[in-house]
Amino acid sequence: MSHKNNNIKENIQRLLLRLELWFAPLLIIIPLVVSLFFVQDWYTRGFSTGSSEFDGELLIGMIILIGNILVDIPFLRSIRMLRKKE
Amino acid sequence: MFLSELTAKDALKITKQKMTAYQTELLERLNAIEVDAHWFRRAFHTFAASFLFYYLLPDEEWITTAKIVLPVLIVVCMILVEYQRLRGGVDHQRFFGLRSYEKKRPASYLYFGVAVLLLFLFFPQQIAIPCILCASFSDPIIGESRYYLGKKYAVILGFVVSFFFFLITWYRAEWWVLIFIPFVGATGAVLGEARELSCIDDDFMIQMLPAVLILIAWQGLLLLQVDILPPPLIYPLSL
Repeated sequence: MSHKNNNIKENIQRLLLRLELWFAPLLIIIPLVVSLFFVQDWYTRGFSTGSSEFDGELLIGMIILIGNILVDIPFLRSIRMLRKKE
Repeated sequence: MFLSELTAKDALKITKQKMTAYQTELLERLNAIEVDAHWFRRAFHTFAASFLFYYLLPDEEWITTAKIVLPVLIVVCMILVEYQRLRGGVDHQRFFGLRSYEKKRPASYLYFGVAVLLLFLFFPQQIAIPCILCASFSDPIIGESRYYLGKKYAVILGFVVSFFFFLITWYRAEWWVLIFIPFVGATGAVLGEARELSCIDDDFMIQMLPAVLILIAWQGLLLLQVDILPPPLIYPLSL
């Protein structure tokens, strides 16, 4: 039992040291949330009030969204490929 | 009664054992996940574009203070971590995705962070936004296309993409500014990326070189009573 507990502790410690596993979900989720926020803000403050002042936010939102999706796909694919190799 | 108590105890013991086994298996599975450093670095670059959220933060007094203090603190923490790593206080192996030449010099994420901090604090957003976009997207595009198309075409592609970012950010400027500024900015970004300097990382140069060039152009033309700066692209939220 104590051996098993040690095993779990060791695994947790190894996991804590693997910064990339902590960052990976953030790298994917945060840009998507931020870009959608930009688009939503453009819609509420700009589009729905008929103001073109906020069009820049739509452009920025779309650039962040498309740019990140284009990189996230090969990033996730590379993780899947490495898992398959195992 | 006694028999049922024993069964409940056994059931609890079995469940505990199963949970422990499941936990061990799950942790081992998580530890077995391999992350490709190449695409991890690319994703880190594109992730940086979300820093533009900074310009949406409201202009309230305490938030304005936080807008200065927080980025400075983050960069100071990064400097401390890098200092410890270079001194040997923190194991190099803990930093995933570092390049071999970064073993004995500050890692590129620090250069990236310092450049973003300088842009946030000392440059108007009209200049800072396209420079951050160039570091976030043009840099990985140049890096990837260099592999597939060769250096020459990679630079051309990087120039076109950077030009597009400056064009989009300055779209409300006058027509001649819309040619002049994207040209200066894209040239600076491509030069910053392509020039290999031993002491300064390209992640710093790709942001700072176009920013400084445009700042000089803007201030120079201001002396001639010509203001080329368009209205801001992102307006802060109101509380």
